[in-house]
Amino acid sequence: MGRTRRPSSQMLRLLEALSVRPQHWRHGYDLMKETGLLSGTLYPLLMRMTDQGLVEAEWREPEQLGRPARHAYRLTANGIALARDAAPARFNRLGKPALA
Amino acid sequence: MIASVARALMSLASACLGPERRDWASAMQAEFEAAIEDGRPLAFAAGCLVAAWREMASVGEGRLVLASYALALGLLIPMAVHQFGQAASFVMVPVDGLLATGIAPNPYLVWSQNSAILMLLLLWLLLGFAHLTLAWVLVEGDWPRVVKLGALIGATMITLVLFAGVLMFDLAPLIAQARDLALELTAIVAAARWRASLALRATGVPLAW
Repeated sequence: MGRTRRPSSQMLRLLEALSVRPQHWRHGYDLMKETGLLSGTLYPLLMRMTDQGLVEAEWREPEQLGRPARHAYRLTANGIALARDAAPARFNRLGKPALA
Repeated sequence: MIASVARALMSLASACLGPERRDWASAMQAEFEAAIEDGRPLAFAAGCLVAAWREMASVGEGRLVLASYALALGLLIPMAVHQFGQAASFVMVPVDGLLATGIAPNPYLVWSQNSAILMLLLLWLLLGFAHLTLAWVLVEGDWPRVVKLGALIGATMITLVLFAGVLMFDLAPLIAQARDLALELTAIVAAARWRASLALRATGVPLAW
């Protein structure tokens, strides 16, 4: 499915956070803290990006015994490509390097 | 206390997300534990509820559910309250006060009018209870019962108008009710058609009533 609309600033923040280490699975609450997005913004964004094939989600076993399994997220190949396309202008403006 | 409110909000958010997003509701619930540890359960839960509402509003079925709630809370329940008020007026106002304007008490009709008060009171109460039940079944999405209650309300209204007209009672409140009822039934028919078109789009098969 092709995506022609320019990503929103919230999506760019999420792409930036997820693309730091694209192979690593990230939890929703950690992403909230890192991006500064509220749960009311983050989850609709994650749902939409998962539906569009930009993010993949998986249930991961808990790190501590007795805790519930947690949903974890990472970018798909399409998500990484979008991050690469969308990020340069943003990273240049912020004075940060492009994707690691 | 805050944790209890936050848990209630999380449950509401899960319920709003519906079966198609059950996995996401579980995902939010799992992260809620992390929010509790971080000392921010309420903000997290409120955000999840907003996310669930946004999700509802973005899909056709969710919009239909929101519209049903709006119809129930904004129209059906106020109508039920008004109808209970009308029923109360039959108990509190003497028969003379219920007559149409310009109509003097008729000695030949007084006995019939007094005898009909109880029946009219029951009909207004029936209308009120039928509206409350209609609001409930509409929100529940129980469409066969919506149709039955709509028919019951229509029949009750016609009976009320006939009784009140024959007994020369004031028809003004009934005319106002009939106008609101027409609006209400139009909105319900529109919601039913919307639901049928959603079902047709989802399954490709017209909905059987």
